[in-house]
Amino acid sequence: MENKLAPHIEELTKALESISINVDESQIREELEKLLDFRVPLDEAKRTIIRKFRSASMPVMKIKDITAVLKGFEVTGRIIDVTEKTVNLRGKETVIFSGTLADENGACTFTAWSDYSLKSGDVIRIKNAYSRSWHNRSEVNFGERSNVEKLSDDVLPSMDELTKAPIKKLRDVVNTDLSVSTVAIILEFSHRNVNIKNEEVTIVEGVLADETAKLPFTSWISLDGLDIGNTIRIEKASVRMFRGVPSLNFNNNTTITAVDTSTEKMPFTFESSNKAPKPTLISEIMENDGMFDVVALGNIISIRPGSGIIIRCPECNRVIQKSTCRVHATVEGVKDMRIKAILDDGTGAVSVMLNQELSEIIYGKSMVEAEDIIQKAISQEAVFEDMRKVLTGKYFAIRGNTSSTKFGIMLVASSAWVPDNDIWIRVNALKKHMGNDQTGDLDNG
Amino acid sequence: MVDREIAQRLFAKEFNDSKFNIHPKPDEVIFDGGHAPNFIVSPLGSKINRLFATGVVTEIDNIGTEHDLWRARVVDPSGAFIVYAGQYQPEAAMFLSTLEIPAYVSVVGKARIYEPEDGSVFVSIRPEDINVIDSDIRDRWIVDTAELTLDRIDAFSIALASGLTGTELFEHLVQNNIPKGLAEGISLALDYYHTDTNYVDKMKDVVLNCVKSIGSEPDNENVVPDEDLILKLMKEMDTGKGIDYAELILIAKSRGMAENVIVAAVRKLLAKGMCYEPKIGILKVVS
Repeated sequence: MENKLAPHIEELTKALESISINVDESQIREELEKLLDFRVPLDEAKRTIIRKFRSASMPVMKIKDITAVLKGFEVTGRIIDVTEKTVNLRGKETVIFSGTLADENGACTFTAWSDYSLKSGDVIRIKNAYSRSWHNRSEVNFGERSNVEKLSDDVLPSMDELTKAPIKKLRDVVNTDLSVSTVAIILEFSHRNVNIKNEEVTIVEGVLADETAKLPFTSWISLDGLDIGNTIRIEKASVRMFRGVPSLNFNNNTTITAVDTSTEKMPFTFESSNKAPKPTLISEIMENDGMFDVVALGNIISIRPGSGIIIRCPECNRVIQKSTCRVHATVEGVKDMRIKAILDDGTGAVSVMLNQELSEIIYGKSMVEAEDIIQKAISQEAVFEDMRKVLTGKYFAIRGNTSSTKFGIMLVASSAWVPDNDIWIRVNALKKHMGNDQTGDLDNG
Repeated sequence: MVDREIAQRLFAKEFNDSKFNIHPKPDEVIFDGGHAPNFIVSPLGSKINRLFATGVVTEIDNIGTEHDLWRARVVDPSGAFIVYAGQYQPEAAMFLSTLEIPAYVSVVGKARIYEPEDGSVFVSIRPEDINVIDSDIRDRWIVDTAELTLDRIDAFSIALASGLTGTELFEHLVQNNIPKGLAEGISLALDYYHTDTNYVDKMKDVVLNCVKSIGSEPDNENVVPDEDLILKLMKEMDTGKGIDYAELILIAKSRGMAENVIVAAVRKLLAKGMCYEPKIGILKVVS
C-alpha cells in the first residue's frame, strides 16, 4: 500500500504546487488513505484532495484587491467605526456588527455575524473571511467559521492616517476610497428635492471633470454661488458607489472652495473636459466594474431578445406582458422601443442598452414606423427580426456609463453614432508598421 | 457571472491552419463554477470559441441528406471560411437557402473542429448570426483583423525571441503587457504547433496582402479613380444578365478612357472581389 500510493501522492503534491499551494506529503497521504478506506475510487479521491487543499489555502488580500464574491481569504485591517444592529435572520433575531475596515491603501465596509467585541481603532486579522457585494461595493464578511485575531496597534498606520482623505485625480477614485480630496470643474449642475425621513431636502446633483475623467456628484450641503463652469477645490468628499461607478458626496465634513482660474492655472478647461471622450478598448471597459462617460466602438454582433417594441407599466416602468404588471396587477401599458445588443471589438464584448430615441437613430425607423411593421406582419417579433437584419454586423460608437450586472458589463447609451470611416489612416499606419509604406501598390496577385 | 466569449477576429488563413482543440477537463469545469468553454487555439495563439468574420459568399450547397445542411464558403482576402448551418441553426439555414451569391456577409459564430480518423482536421463556423453587409464594413473588418492579427504577431515575436516555453513564457509575456488570454494562447500554440519565425513571417505577408486588397486611398474627390468610373458604368449597363466585356470596353472608350486603363481597372475590380466573371467575357457586379 505504502509504495503503491507514493506516485499518486507525488502527483498530488506537484499538482498543488503548480497552483502555489504547499502541503506536506504526510498530510496528503493521510487524506488519501482515509478516502481509500472508504473505498472511494482513486481518481475521485485525488480530486477531492485537490479541492480540499485548494479551499484550505487562504490567500492574503489587501482591501483594495478584494472583489465581490470571494471566499476564504485572509485580511488585516483597522476598525474605523463599528455599530451594532439587530436583524431578522431567517425568523431569528440576530445581533450583527457592521462598520468600516481600512488598511494602508483602501477601506471597505464589513459585517461581523458573531460578536468579537470589536471596538473602533482595533487592528484585526480575519482568516477565512468572504466578501459579497453590498450597496455596489465589496464588503468583507466574517462569522462563526472565520478566525478573528486582535493584533498589536503598530501593525497598521494610525487612525488619523487611515481616515485622511487622499488627494486624487478623478480617474484614480476607486471603490475602496472612503473619502477623497480633489480639484475639478462643474460640467452639470441641477437641484432636486428628495424626501428623507419625511423631510423635504434640496440636494444638488451634477457632473465633475478634470483632465483625467468625469464623475457624478451629489451635494447634501448648499452650493450657493457655484454653477456650471466653476472650478472647485473639494476636501473630504465621501465616495459612494452607484452601479460600480464612484460618485462624490459632499456632506457636513466636506469643504468646498471656489478656485479662481485666472490666478491659478488648471490642466483642464470647460471645453477640454466637456467633449466626448476618446474611444476605450472594450477589453479595458471590461476590467472595470463601472465607468462614467466612455465611448466604445465595435460591431453589433447580436441583437438580444427583448429588443423592439415593448410595453411598460405606467407606474413603475417595468416591462410587462399581457397588460399585467407583477407589482401593479392589470394596467394600461405604455408602448416603448428599445435595443439590447452585444457590441464586440475583438478585444471584448459588452451589452449595450439603447432607449427609444437612440434606438430610432441607429435603427433608422421611428417607433410609429416600427408599430406599422408589427401591424403588417401581425407579429410582435417582426420589429426584433427587422432590427437584426438592419443592425447585425454593423459598426457603431456608443457613449454612456457602464455598470457591472449579473449578465456582464452593461453600457447604457447616452448617445450613439456611426463612427467616421478612418480606414485610410489605419491602413497607412499598418503598412508602415509592416515596413511597407508604399501606398498605391496593388500587386497582391 | 460568466463573461461572454469574445468574438475573435482572424483571417481565414490563420483559422484554417488551426488544428488544436482544447476541451475542458471535468476538474476544470468544477473549478470554474461549471463553465469552461471549448477553444480552438490558432498557430498564432488566438483562443477561439466565438469569431466574427466578413467576406464574400461564393458558394452555397445543401449537402444534407435527411435534413437540410447548408454549407457556404465565405471568402476573405486570405482564403475561405466554411460555414455550416443545419437544423439547429434554423435562421442561418434559412438565410443561406435564399441568399443570392455572390454577396458580402458578416458571420458571428462558434468555431467548430472536425477530426475524421485519418488524421486530417477541418475547422468551420457554426453561425449564430449571419447578415448581409456592404463593402465598407468588409473593409473595416479587414483593417480591424489586420491590427489585431499584427498584435498577435508582435506578441509571438516576443515569445520566440525569449526562447522560453510553458509557464515561464506565459509569465514573461504577461510582464511584457500581453493580455493574459493571448499569453496563454501563445504558450499553448508554441507547445503544440512549434510555430516558428517562418510561419510568423508568412502570416505577416498574409496580413499585408489583406490590407493591400482594400486598395489605396482615393486621391481627392474631384478625380474619380478609373475603377469607380468603370464600376458605375457596369452598374448602369447591367440589366440583370451581366455585362459583355467587349461592350464595356467600347462604351468606356467612347467616354474617353484608354483601353489599357479600362482593362487594368476591371482587373483590379476582379481582384478586389467587387465584380466577378460568371462566364468568360461576361462580368457581373457584386452587389
